[in-house]
Amino acid sequence: MAQTAQTAAGGSGRRRTAWQTLKRDRQLWIMILPAIVVILLFNYVPMYGIQLAFRDYDFTKGLTGGDWRGLHYFKQFIDSYMFTDIMRNTVTISLATILLGFPAPIILALLLNQVRWKRGKKVLQTVVYMPHFISIVVLVGLLNVLLSPNTGIVGYLLRSMGYDINLLASTTAFVPVYVLSDIWQHCGWNSIIYLAALSTVDPQLYDSAKIDGAGKWQTMRHIDLPAIAPTIMILFILSMGGVLTTGFEKIFLMQNTLNLPVSEVISTYVYKIGILSNQFSYSAAIGLFNTVINFFFLFVTNQIARRVSNISLW
Amino acid sequence: MKRAWSLVLALLLAASALAACSGGKNGDGGGGSSNGASGGSDGGSGKRVKLTAIMTKHPLTKPFAEMEWLQAAEERAGVEIEWEEVTADWSQKKGALLSSGDIPDLIVGPNAITDADIAMFPGLFQDLRDLIESHGPNVKAMFEAKPETRVLATQTDGSIYGLPKYQRYWPATVTRQYINQQWLNNLGLKVPTTWDELYDVLVAFKEQDANGNGDPNDEIPMDFAPVGTGGFGFFHPTVLLGSTGITLTNASGQGYFMEDGVVKNFFVDERYKRFVQFLAKCYAAGLINPEVFTQDYTKFQSVARGEGNTAKVGFTWGWEVTDRFGNTLAPQYTSMAPLKETAASNVQVSWDYTYDALNYGVNMVVMSAKAKNKEAAMRFINELYDPIVSMQVLFGSIGPNIKDNGDGSYEVLPPADPAMDPGTWKWTSTWADNGPMYIADDLVLTLGTDMQSVGAQTEPLMPAINAIDKENDVLPTMFIKYTPEDNSTMALNNTNLMNLAMAKFSQWVTAGGIEQEWDSYVKEAERTGLPQNLEIIQRYVDEYKRSK
Amino acid sequence: MGWILRKRTPGDVLFDAFIAAACILVFLIVAYPLYFVVIASVSDSTMVATGKVWVWPRGFSLFGYSEIFGDTRIWRGYRNTILYTTLGTFVNLLFTLPAAYALSRQEFRARRFLMFVFVVTMFFSGGLIPTYLLIKGLGMTNTMWVFIFPFCVNVYNLIIVRTFFETSLPRELYEAAAMDGCGHFRFFWSVALPLSKAVISVIGLYYAVAHWNDFFTALVYVRDNDLQPLQIVLRDILLSNQVFQSGAGTGGQAGGYAQRYADQIKYGVIIVSTLPILLVYPFIQKYFEKGVMIGSVKG
Repeated sequence: MAQTAQTAAGGSGRRRTAWQTLKRDRQLWIMILPAIVVILLFNYVPMYGIQLAFRDYDFTKGLTGGDWRGLHYFKQFIDSYMFTDIMRNTVTISLATILLGFPAPIILALLLNQVRWKRGKKVLQTVVYMPHFISIVVLVGLLNVLLSPNTGIVGYLLRSMGYDINLLASTTAFVPVYVLSDIWQHCGWNSIIYLAALSTVDPQLYDSAKIDGAGKWQTMRHIDLPAIAPTIMILFILSMGGVLTTGFEKIFLMQNTLNLPVSEVISTYVYKIGILSNQFSYSAAIGLFNTVINFFFLFVTNQIARRVSNISLW
Repeated sequence: MKRAWSLVLALLLAASALAACSGGKNGDGGGGSSNGASGGSDGGSGKRVKLTAIMTKHPLTKPFAEMEWLQAAEERAGVEIEWEEVTADWSQKKGALLSSGDIPDLIVGPNAITDADIAMFPGLFQDLRDLIESHGPNVKAMFEAKPETRVLATQTDGSIYGLPKYQRYWPATVTRQYINQQWLNNLGLKVPTTWDELYDVLVAFKEQDANGNGDPNDEIPMDFAPVGTGGFGFFHPTVLLGSTGITLTNASGQGYFMEDGVVKNFFVDERYKRFVQFLAKCYAAGLINPEVFTQDYTKFQSVARGEGNTAKVGFTWGWEVTDRFGNTLAPQYTSMAPLKETAASNVQVSWDYTYDALNYGVNMVVMSAKAKNKEAAMRFINELYDPIVSMQVLFGSIGPNIKDNGDGSYEVLPPADPAMDPGTWKWTSTWADNGPMYIADDLVLTLGTDMQSVGAQTEPLMPAINAIDKENDVLPTMFIKYTPEDNSTMALNNTNLMNLAMAKFSQWVTAGGIEQEWDSYVKEAERTGLPQNLEIIQRYVDEYKRSK
Repeated sequence: MGWILRKRTPGDVLFDAFIAAACILVFLIVAYPLYFVVIASVSDSTMVATGKVWVWPRGFSLFGYSEIFGDTRIWRGYRNTILYTTLGTFVNLLFTLPAAYALSRQEFRARRFLMFVFVVTMFFSGGLIPTYLLIKGLGMTNTMWVFIFPFCVNVYNLIIVRTFFETSLPRELYEAAAMDGCGHFRFFWSVALPLSKAVISVIGLYYAVAHWNDFFTALVYVRDNDLQPLQIVLRDILLSNQVFQSGAGTGGQAGGYAQRYADQIKYGVIIVSTLPILLVYPFIQKYFEKGVMIGSVKG
């Protein structure tokens, strides 16, 4: 798809002025204008609030009037007693989530795509995306019941296999339980996008592959995977923007004193310091610290993707 | 494609039709839950002032429009209040509300607006001193009769923004200690009086089929409530520290207690070490519920209800016997006195002193500085503090919930539904403990069965509680107002300390190791900022005692 | 297009068997907990909490459902949520699809810059307070419009649609149409949209579910009971269990009371809030059936 200098709309390769480009693209500009307005209005206008991370909060002077503290709150966070533990836990959990949680929906989509039996496929598809709608509160309640060592079915299965471990209690089990239950809940939903991509594959391709004698495994490798490759790439870049993101509610509900050394993350820490006193600036600083790192990873991944393939965010 | 669009349109039309039919208003102020007539009063007596208010209520509480006493109180005060009833996520809502200055005339609820909020948002709330003078005779009466309430209400600069509550009837402690008397009888044992005796009794429970159902393995000798990551609370084994002479105040969740006027923290105290060692010994012998650190509160309560007539739990802590064990098994349990640490110990045993937290509350109602009709708002607040009205705030309206005996005395009635317990009935019918109130000491009120039984069950603990030196061994944190900076510092240090201490607590109890780790743990605790907090609290306590 | 028969190799048989086994395993792992939620919602909560409920409901009781449906707020919540979801999703698609199309056209000079501007907003935000002040300033607080317009373009979804447009609407296709005098508008409406039913369905579903599950907007911006969506009502009911989690504080006096009540409700709530969406999905599903979409780029 290499673009040459000739375009359908005339011009013989000489440079266009910005105005001419604007005119040529005016329909596109009109199409994108509502989105630009919405994003500018609701996302960029309030962005002055970011400076709360650098200022004290002074109600009487408004959001922008407090004393300037520069990097004080950032330093406070980095120097704080729990910094290393929190960062280590956050990175561990989110990396594990990405490493395991990213391929799972892809595999599931490829799996479902192979199912011949239409009825079964529909049923399986529907069942598999349903857990996505279970609220976190109910999910953790479910985990507590099902994984309970004495009375839960999973606990029972493990005990009958000889493992005497309390899945809810140990520091080693916390991350696997968290990540696996995450996959259980969201894999089906996340696979929808891949299924949709797979559905756009021209059936003729499958037929010609069959004629050429390709086995199912090869078909998957050479037709299915390339069909969803752009989607995979983009979603992967986006997921790298979640390197320091763990979500709050689920971890908070799953936390107990036994898994605390590995389950205290940035979001739960911010919540705890927030409820006792209104630490607006400090939490804003921590939040900003968090997102800057996330954005950095996204940026780097995007640049790499651009070099390596044609697919990138920008 | 066309079908999808027609589906969408059909849905939209249906929804709009529904919206139109039920008179959906979109925010022109008419949507509240009070009487449905919009625009102008409904031909009642004169013009009532319209006020807006938020209340943080218990999820069980019924809609305010159905509360008889509330409607009557509003009428007497000449106001009509549009209530927003919040049951969840108040802290998330609060931030945006306060920062934008967009608050209603009144905010009601137990510490819904904290002292930290008041300090952080100066000028947002109304200083009530003058209004109390002019329109708040009931509040003044409360301040006179109970000077502690004035202390609770007053900020460091003398201003009053939030009004407190006083509810008088609650016991001196939240946590009571229970043991299964029937199991003791089955095994021919006596109620233990020391830690060692308790240990032996628990072993017997475990090994000798105490509940007599033929299965020697289904007993749980000891169980306690789930311990949070933010510290201890009620129904936790920390009350055993009383055996070592430590007096807990309001459960001493973060470990702070007072001894002979000195502020200390038990997390770094030798006595706490012995306490953890005792629990570790019990856990290692299989005497504590193995799920004690992973079950949630629901499960904790469910387990205690056993199966039919067979009890599962031998020794535990709870609020009241039917609440803890259910109606069927309650008769099997008796409440116990505090244990001594050892038979030879002559330390005066103590317990958790929670009288203040149970009977007093801070900042139950605040007023917006921008309220248009402050006198009317104050009149309404004043109604709430009328002892007869307060009684109804707590237990429900006269009529369905309270009987007026006609001679100046009253009686709390049992629930209308005989299957319901009195506690649920209270919480369903009215604001209960979440409302501002002043229950006068001279009010003659016969309490419901639940309150009476709580009192009875607290009896075994009373000798220890009465022996507490309230001046020097009870930490008066409820009555102290910290500066925002000190509050902030302490909060940060406490978060650090709790992370360390609670994780260690559960690790030591379940896996042991306290011997080896104690010294480095104490050093670690210093690094969390604990000494700083102790120094801050001591300063404030000394100041408080000087000014009394 | 007739059947082209080919002998099934041993590799194929193995493959099929593997697929079948994997599917069954996935089905069981996912379906059992869901089934558990259903039976738990009609079982006695004490039995559920102590692990007595495995395959059949125990202590059958419809208490949870009668409480939920008896609460008049539920019906109002349903009505509101349906309205917000349909109208909101319509607005979402209206704003997102054309924008994604524009960004997918490689000749659009500003596309990289605009994409960057959009992506930045996924990470950096001014926070709740400035946003609240803005929405209040626009007069949208406590109205139904706060559920429709603010943040109606989700950049993540925008990117997904853009990716689809990029890969399935190559430049040659447009050029061919342009030669017949077709501009972007016409191309978008008559060619792009019909070909993209799969991705429109998916993104529409994403947006719809986001609207359906949203409780935060109502929590912070809305006071009127009349405007509350379903999730707020359900969350209220659901979180009464949370109150008892800590066991401390008000849990002490109020804790035991009616926690059985809250538990009965817990599982029923999830059924009540999910059922409508489950009913919508089959309609969407047919849009990503294989073969319904036929690639249009020949040769």
